[in-house]
Amino acid sequence: MPKVRPRLIVALCTLSLPLALICLCVNGEANAQRSAIDTYAITNARIVTVSGPVVERGTVVVRNGLIAAAGANVSAPPDARVIDGAGMTVYPGLIDSYTNLALPEPAAGPSPAGGGPGAFLLQQAQARPSPGGPNSTQPVGLQPEVMVEDSIRSTGNDIESSRNIGITTALSAPRSGIWMGQSALINLSGQTPQQMIVRSPVAMHVSFTPLRGSYPGSLMGVFAQLRQMMLDAQRYRDSIQIYERNPRGIRRPETDRSLAALVPVIEGRMPVIMLANSEREISRALDLAAEFKLRLIVAGGREADRVADRLAKQNVPVLLSLNLPRRTTAAMPEADPEPMRTLRDRVAAQQTAAKLVKAGVRFAFQSGSLANITDLMGNANRTIENGLTPADAVRAFTIWPAEIFGVANQLGSIEAGKIANLTVTRGDLFDRNSRVTHVFIDGRPVDLRPTTPAPGAGERPSGRGGLSGTWTLNVNLGQGDRGATLTLQQEGDRVTGSIAGVLGSGEISNASVSASDEVRFTASLNIEGQTKEATFTGTVSANEIRGTVAVVGLAPGSFTATRVRPN
Amino acid sequence: MKKFLLLFVVLVAGSAVHAQPNETLIKNATVLTVTRGTLTNTDVLIRNGKIAGVGKNLTASANAQVIDATGKFVMPGIIDAHSHSMLDTINEGTLAVTSMVRTEDVLNPTDVDLYRGLAGGVTTLNLLHGSANPIGGLNSVVKIKYGRPASEFLFPGAMPGIKFALGENVKRSSSPNTPGVTRRYPNTRMGVEEVIRDAFTRARDYKRTWDEYRAASAKDKNLIPPRRDLQLEPLVEILEGRRYVHAHCYIASEILMLINLADEFGFKIKTFQHVLEGYKVAKEIAAHGAGASIFADSWGYKIEAYDAIPYNAAIMTRAGVVVSMNSDSDERARRLNIEAAKAMHWGDLTEEQALKLITLNPAIQLGIQERVGSIEVGKDADLAIWNAHPFSVYSRVDTTFVDGAVYFDRAQDLARRPELAKERATLEQAEPNKPPARGAQSPNTPRRRPTTRTDDEIDELEERP
Repeated sequence: MPKVRPRLIVALCTLSLPLALICLCVNGEANAQRSAIDTYAITNARIVTVSGPVVERGTVVVRNGLIAAAGANVSAPPDARVIDGAGMTVYPGLIDSYTNLALPEPAAGPSPAGGGPGAFLLQQAQARPSPGGPNSTQPVGLQPEVMVEDSIRSTGNDIESSRNIGITTALSAPRSGIWMGQSALINLSGQTPQQMIVRSPVAMHVSFTPLRGSYPGSLMGVFAQLRQMMLDAQRYRDSIQIYERNPRGIRRPETDRSLAALVPVIEGRMPVIMLANSEREISRALDLAAEFKLRLIVAGGREADRVADRLAKQNVPVLLSLNLPRRTTAAMPEADPEPMRTLRDRVAAQQTAAKLVKAGVRFAFQSGSLANITDLMGNANRTIENGLTPADAVRAFTIWPAEIFGVANQLGSIEAGKIANLTVTRGDLFDRNSRVTHVFIDGRPVDLRPTTPAPGAGERPSGRGGLSGTWTLNVNLGQGDRGATLTLQQEGDRVTGSIAGVLGSGEISNASVSASDEVRFTASLNIEGQTKEATFTGTVSANEIRGTVAVVGLAPGSFTATRVRPN
Repeated sequence: MKKFLLLFVVLVAGSAVHAQPNETLIKNATVLTVTRGTLTNTDVLIRNGKIAGVGKNLTASANAQVIDATGKFVMPGIIDAHSHSMLDTINEGTLAVTSMVRTEDVLNPTDVDLYRGLAGGVTTLNLLHGSANPIGGLNSVVKIKYGRPASEFLFPGAMPGIKFALGENVKRSSSPNTPGVTRRYPNTRMGVEEVIRDAFTRARDYKRTWDEYRAASAKDKNLIPPRRDLQLEPLVEILEGRRYVHAHCYIASEILMLINLADEFGFKIKTFQHVLEGYKVAKEIAAHGAGASIFADSWGYKIEAYDAIPYNAAIMTRAGVVVSMNSDSDERARRLNIEAAKAMHWGDLTEEQALKLITLNPAIQLGIQERVGSIEVGKDADLAIWNAHPFSVYSRVDTTFVDGAVYFDRAQDLARRPELAKERATLEQAEPNKPPARGAQSPNTPRRRPTTRTDDEIDELEERP
């Protein structure tokens, strides 16, 4: 880690310092690269090329960041570092087609000091930090000019976790907003953000999430504002064309970066990725795309199979989330039975992928902000159990996303000349007992962190003796502290527990703890008479956890938990 | 795997309720035609979605479905002139004028309240924006084609409409005053009037700007066009008589205010909604040509509802106002028949007048009276078979037709229940339904909308930031 920092500074220098210094830095960078080993051969391995038939026993040669050769009759060059791939399978590097990887964590809202009635409204009225560009004509959340490229960073646990399960490339999409901004396709390795980027911008992103406290504050308003801004962008483009034809005698149109960013979208030059999961959300996205002749890509797509005919007809691909719905809360005896529709939908979501293949709808898999990225392959496996062929599952992680993002010449298969992103496993990729042994990104092996504790190690050291115990929990959602008792049990990776107090009681779910001591879990809380799902994210230090609470529809809150009794 | 296949079959079978013969003959019923009186021992023939015959001893082709309705009553499908069912969101309350937002963008065809409406003999809804602002969003008139995609619900040819609102909800009298937070304008009834006058003034200017541009651009190709403004375009349609105004209101003074304002700008209010003090200004409402859509006997739930009387329907009807009874509630929508019946009790309306409150009159208010609202040859076959007179508290719906297809059938519903119970048992055992585990929420977690409150004030509360 400390090795990286000077490099970052170097990268910053190249952006801002005079020419002489730039030359110096670039030379230094080039020398560093030249001196490193850049030729590798994985021999005796099974090769899933994706573009052609599977090679049962062959060699993949990587040179200078690219795939130099692959096949049964390829031999390792003398200067190559050789990895004996006997018993291993080489796949094209896996692509996660929708993530927030490499983006900074969202800023939590300020916790109001006082609480009491009105504090919540007051908190909402306060300005939130702007991730948007300077001099935007639009409020935060309606700034299509925002580019992920400008804010990604090359380090982070999230990147490492994804690499550990074999992801080499990800679409990094803006976190929030209606016009969310423009995404970048990044390789999950690189000294600088610039080195990571494979393609930017890839697409404009849209979610149908209302703003809070200002227009548009409802789903209806979201659609009205999307329409209005696209109409404004049309007029902006036309005005500038008319003006540039003959500026004399015409008042010059004002420049507008937000509207300018929408011009490629309304002209169909840049695809639009809309977040839509349910049948009706996808239908709304399709309607809007048809109305403005947009190049639509649906992200989420949980019920995409129910609109498959329209998706196929309008040639709209789907970035299908593998965050498969599960019952997340314990059934409480006094609770109403869950609606049939909910029960049916959870089962049906596992079948969506197979149905899309049958209907001829193009799709790619994405992790869909899974609470725990290690669930990804297991969930892919569920879609296989529900009718998707394993070969198509591999395609949905490789060549299909590459095609959808227009980078099939660079990524998505093991072919000479493509970027040397490779995922090597012992055992089949979707087998629960398989293990990712090597990951190559841009022709270089990346360090993989062991994902399972050494045998006999007991509790993870990261948990400092584990999370197990009874904790006093204080939650502040803007209306003063509210207490509860949190009971946690940790066995290896597995964290379970329950919560009890004025906020309601029940099992926690989605619980996990990372190597960097980050704890996450969700719980159903009783907030103002409504049961709401709250996501806790915090950092453990010895006997204390501090962090933030996210509840849909509320401003972010904070929590602290203090261990009163170890188990 | 096999288990899942079986489930799939059940799902498909469930949604195939309306695979229908194109001819249905309802035999020997008491037919409440609304426009031609009550006909006993009468048949109703439905063909290709339309009413093809009303009379005695009708015959149908051999493959027609024949329903023996002896002892039963046939009534036109009920039209609810004020509903928020099927809407994923009801208020855009952030601004005082939100005529750019459309309920059509947020229809949820799977809302179970729709099915419950069908079970109460309701076939058509006027889906309105809430009452958070003086000028709200655009409405949608829908036929309840439960199980079909949202696009098939839209009532073809219905007049486009818009929601206006006056009074307490709009001036946010129930909002708390928070230090440091500026309340949204307007805060008084005076302010409400000013907001509407300002909006129409802008709409008039907008229309003029476009007219001038169109005239000038014929000669000069280098003109930059004016901005298209989705907020003002519907207001221009109102000024041109191409969009109906449905105005939420309570007290007499604000009703007169809106009539005067509309007269000033030369447009019409199509309906006053709730209009609890309508009886005080019934003559003025009738003179303006407006309708009124009311509750039977809800009052006192807020200050502006104190002067309500249950004779409202009768007094306005006698003054020449086209009156309808609406639900404004997913729960009340299921028993609008009883709401209409109350008007016979309070104020002695005739049976036909009372029936019209929930059939032909709301149809007139929505511009669909040529298609629905009575049982006449040529009209859409939107109707329900009741087991008793619909004005009896003991009545219930056996079958509801929309465009000649069955969308609710009590016998079928009861027959499916054991099958559904079995399906539930299987589903509960399916892996993703076993608690607790990691995963995302179902996309269809049902919206919790309070059903017991009256008046669309609740909608404002629900969505207020």
